[in-house]
Amino acid sequence: MSDHLTSALLNALADGELSGDQSAIVSEHLAGCPECTSRALEQSLLKSATAKAGERYTVSAEFQGRMERLISEAKSSRPVKSPSQPQRAWNESSLRWASLAAVLLVCVTIFGLQRWSSRTVSETTGLVLEVRDQHIATLAANAPPEVISSDRHTVKPWFQGKIPFSFNLPQNLPEDTTLDGANLTYLGGRPTAQLLYSVGKHRVSIFVRQEPTASGLPLRFPDQAGFHVTGFRAGGLEVVAVSDTEMGRLSDLVSRFEQAQAGGQGGAK
Amino acid sequence: MTLLPWKRVVPKSDPQTPRFEDLALPLLPSLYNVAVWLSRNPTDAEDLVQETFLKALRGFDGFEPGSNFKAWIFRILRNTYLTSRSGLAATRTVALEEELEERDDSGPRLVPEGAIDRQTPEVNVLWMSDRAALQAAMEKLSPPLLEVVLLCDVEEMKYREIASVLEIPIGTVMSRIARARAALREMLQGTVRVPGNSGAGGAEN
Repeated sequence: MSDHLTSALLNALADGELSGDQSAIVSEHLAGCPECTSRALEQSLLKSATAKAGERYTVSAEFQGRMERLISEAKSSRPVKSPSQPQRAWNESSLRWASLAAVLLVCVTIFGLQRWSSRTVSETTGLVLEVRDQHIATLAANAPPEVISSDRHTVKPWFQGKIPFSFNLPQNLPEDTTLDGANLTYLGGRPTAQLLYSVGKHRVSIFVRQEPTASGLPLRFPDQAGFHVTGFRAGGLEVVAVSDTEMGRLSDLVSRFEQAQAGGQGGAK
Repeated sequence: MTLLPWKRVVPKSDPQTPRFEDLALPLLPSLYNVAVWLSRNPTDAEDLVQETFLKALRGFDGFEPGSNFKAWIFRILRNTYLTSRSGLAATRTVALEEELEERDDSGPRLVPEGAIDRQTPEVNVLWMSDRAALQAAMEKLSPPLLEVVLLCDVEEMKYREIASVLEIPIGTVMSRIARARAALREMLQGTVRVPGNSGAGGAEN
């Protein structure tokens, strides 16, 4: 018999992917061809053996628990939009809402003046979310940084003419920490330098932008969905770092970054 | 009370709408298993799965209930792997092999079916029963071939689902499955033919 079944057909047979027509042709052929029947059996055996051999690694109880906590924390910090919740129709209380909106408008106008001197909690939260989202988006994008270099003397000059400020990069990095490159991005509508580091196998984004109100107050951020966020303000710059590495290692890198801005012992240039 | 005419009709609250954890947590063992196979490192695999969960959580609002959640989250895992260090390194390594493979998709087989050396069914059953040797052979597969084997045989996905996860045509899925199985068969037959070398592949497991 010259026209034996092809490998593609034998695979499709083992995988249950034959169409109705193909199935009839294959069945008819197998009924009269011991060689192809043997190959079909072999293909089927290989599939089941691979299926068993492939089930090899099991999740530890610790990791299982970590993932469950991750989901619950992520959902509590950023409630998922619930499409199933019906909106309430307008009713007789709409006038009351309109009144409330008017009062709120007045309040916003009054408090708007105060925002020049003090940052609100929601601003900080918004900044954290934006920083975290940009970091995740960078990791998710299948694209290299705009400037790829581990040399701070290459990365820093790349920003000349792109951002209206300058900053220093630390010369001496913590152990197992490398500079991967940088991107030009925007945070809150302001041009921002995104510096990409690797701490071990964890990625770190350090965002540097101008701080319009140079308050010098330390920044304190809650963790966001498993990511640590920390930062500082100095010399008119606002620096925010985000990563899923250990907080201690992230803080170490950030403190060296802070020393570099001061031109101190961190090895700034 | 009647709804005002401009009010969009919103579907009634559906208590059956699945929550993320209800869909994702049952798939954690599968995701982790595939992640270790691909990254070849349990620590990297945990990072990979964690990042996958974070991305999936963020994108869950856009996930259409009723569509294939398993294919959706595996696609996130696979894309996350591709951008990871191990994934990027593997991509560079197999780039040339991929080019050769694409040529193989459309045309007839370069090697006629009759030219393939086959052993007797009894011998084939013997080498297929050696789980350690099979795992060692799977470890030697390139990532593009390994991932189709894992999705097809271990995860029991249909070709259409695999094509969706890997974002490749179904013809390429079929081609990779054929290549992967041929490679496994060849490696396993090699271990049987040369008993003195048979421990080389499986010894590390």
